Amino acid sequence: MYLLKNALKSISRAKTRNILIVIIASIITISACIALSIRQSAETAREASIDQMKITAQISVDRQAMLKSVQSGDRTNVLRNIQGISLEEMLSYAKSGNVDDFYYTLTSSLNSDEATVPVDTSEVTESTEDLNTQFEGMGPGGSRRGFAGMGNQGDFTVVGYSSHNAMSTFMDGTCKVIEGSVFAEDTKEPDCLISDELALLNDLTVGDTITLINPNDEEETVVMKINGIYHNSEAAMSSGGDMMGFNAASDPANRIYTSYTALRAVVDNSEANAVVEVDETTGREISTALRGQEAGTYVLADATAYDAFQKDAEDLGLDTSIYAITSPDLDDYEQSMIPLERLSSYAAYFLLIVLIIGGAILVIFQVFAIRERKYEIGVLAAIGMNKRKVAAQFIAEVFIVTFIAIIIGTGTGSVISVPVANRLLQDQVQAVEVSQQTTMNNFGGGFEGRIPGGAGFLQGRMDGSGDADYISSISANVDIVVLLQLLFIGILLTLVSSASAIVSILRYDPLKILSNRS
Amino acid sequence: MSTFTLNNLCYSYGSRQRDVISNLNYVFEDSKVYSIIGKSGAGKTTLLSLLSGLVKPTKGSILYDGNDISKMDPYRYRSNYVGVIFQSFNLLPHLTAIENVVLSMDISGKKITGKKEKAQMLLNSVGLDDATAHRRILKLSGGEQQRVAIARTLSYEPSVILADEPTGNLDGETQTGIINIFQDLAHKEGKCVILVTHSPYVAQMSDMVYELAVKKD
Ligand SMILES: Nc1ncnc2c1ncn2[C@@H]1O[C@H](COP(=O)(O)OP(=O)(O)OP(=O)(O)O)[C@@H](O)[C@H]1O
Ligand SMILES: [Mg+2]
Repeated sequence: MYLLKNALKSISRAKTRNILIVIIASIITISACIALSIRQSAETAREASIDQMKITAQISVDRQAMLKSVQSGDRTNVLRNIQGISLEEMLSYAKSGNVDDFYYTLTSSLNSDEATVPVDTSEVTESTEDLNTQFEGMGPGGSRRGFAGMGNQGDFTVVGYSSHNAMSTFMDGTCKVIEGSVFAEDTKEPDCLISDELALLNDLTVGDTITLINPNDEEETVVMKINGIYHNSEAAMSSGGDMMGFNAASDPANRIYTSYTALRAVVDNSEANAVVEVDETTGREISTALRGQEAGTYVLADATAYDAFQKDAEDLGLDTSIYAITSPDLDDYEQSMIPLERLSSYAAYFLLIVLIIGGAILVIFQVFAIRERKYEIGVLAAIGMNKRKVAAQFIAEVFIVTFIAIIIGTGTGSVISVPVANRLLQDQVQAVEVSQQTTMNNFGGGFEGRIPGGAGFLQGRMDGSGDADYISSISANVDIVVLLQLLFIGILLTLVSSASAIVSILRYDPLKILSNRS
Repeated sequence: MSTFTLNNLCYSYGSRQRDVISNLNYVFEDSKVYSIIGKSGAGKTTLLSLLSGLVKPTKGSILYDGNDISKMDPYRYRSNYVGVIFQSFNLLPHLTAIENVVLSMDISGKKITGKKEKAQMLLNSVGLDDATAHRRILKLSGGEQQRVAIARTLSYEPSVILADEPTGNLDGETQTGIINIFQDLAHKEGKCVILVTHSPYVAQMSDMVYELAVKKD
């Protein structure tokens, strides 16, 4: 093939220009390589995490929607009368074919009797009130601000589970029974699990009983039997500096787990014996009954099932002006993807700009090259070389040069794309965190953050939206997909930059070129 | 058998310009050397451009072996059947003499073995030594370039050779050598050789002379 031979000769003849073109095209390729591998790893991360994710969802009061739906004057009233969704209702939506599993919890707050001391790292006891107002802003994790008519806060948080599957912290391994065993799923007996810290503090072992007191009525006691002792691996780490130290009930070590049926019986009994008083100033009824908060968790196969479930629930009669279906998993997931998604879309714009500017530069180079080589084109045509072959030779020249640049660019790009991408990603994570922080402050602490999470609240997730787990590093390998995309970009650049050459070659009249010269 | 037959050939460089060539009815046969003479601006180069298919007649036609050349593939026609030695040589300045000759053989698409050796041999035959043959065109004198252009045309063995003032830059001795080559091509190899010339000597050495007159408006 003399075409190729000629092309190579021409390239080596115009060394300076071609080296310049290689440098420019390499820069384009490196940029494209980084941008593409970021996009590719965002795609992979998205697919990987959504694939292995089991989605759970809750139905909770959508305060915002509620407030929007009523006249401004009635709003305070509406807020006061908010009722959590009942278990019966939740069960009815669980009939949706898209729900894989449904389980529920009952959460109550109780005090200890003299014999049992709660785990309490707060050294401040006198000024609790100041601290409360100060930490109100800390948001959803602080369980003090619950639903209307919550009653008094006890030292212990007792959670009753409908099934072992509902015990998410045990399912995911955060908590582990280290002595004895878990209570039976449906037992009516007040068997319970207590934390190892609580057991150690009070010298309790499996088989002992603990006595708990209704914080609203000191006469009312509940005796629970310790069936097992668990260890919470996160409690040790987190009880250090953060706010749970100021509030015994929110310390995970003071969480007592039992069966739903058992706790239900306790709460029902308390309600049956309650005394109701009317507060003189507010006119609201105050009961001495033990408060119980029910929460249900729907298990859904995937994001599609989650979407379908939202529709099903509405069809089954869920009033969306009051209640909202939310998925903390999905939220967390989306949250975790924010920096990467942002980076990915920046990468797309960046790629576009680099391609446009780089492409323009290459086109300009080619236009000048063609002008310089007009005479050559004329001679080749005059001695009988088909113009199409002349054009083919020029394309081959551009392609060879671009190809060298792609090899250099891909080589360099694959080496630096991982560190560069991770560096950029960390900047993004930081940027997102800063803006989250600002948002949090603006809203006085996660106004919408976690409030709707009826079940997520008190149940074990203490993570506020401020410290979400962002995907902060990727393994942005240059894989076969990226390589193919780069090749495509190379071909595109070649075609774009040689297009002008082809057009002028095909338009040139050899005689005119030659006679203009002489 | 006539190689070229011109039928009322006319040409002008633009629809509003005068005819540079008007109503020519020449015949060119193989095995003969032709000279085309005429004053500067008479249209000699234009006629060669027409014969080589670089431009198309505005009126009339040129038949090559009975076929209208405006209906033939111009590239194949130029790279295989006719060899043109342009007044301005039209060599590629960055290539060496040999490379220029080899390129023409490449473009013709003809199966030629030992292209480099053949190129070197042809260059020797027009009086260029090996050192000159390996030099770039840029570094050759006008006369040397002219001879490279001649060697290039001979390399792919076309049946017609068109040459625009092929001896214009040559001394008497070299000129005679070149003319002898052309005569041999016509008389021994049966080619049709058409030379444009101002030289009475070249005209005298050819078998037939056509004279073009300058057209006035
Ligand atoms: N590309 C062109 N566009 C317009 N006019 C042209 C062009 N080339 C040549 N001419 C004109 O056509 C006429 C014939 O030109 P041509 O080159 O054929 O003359 P010539 O006989 O070869 O002259 P010379 O002996 O000087 O080479 C001239 O008047 C010239 O000015
Ligand atoms: Mg002329």
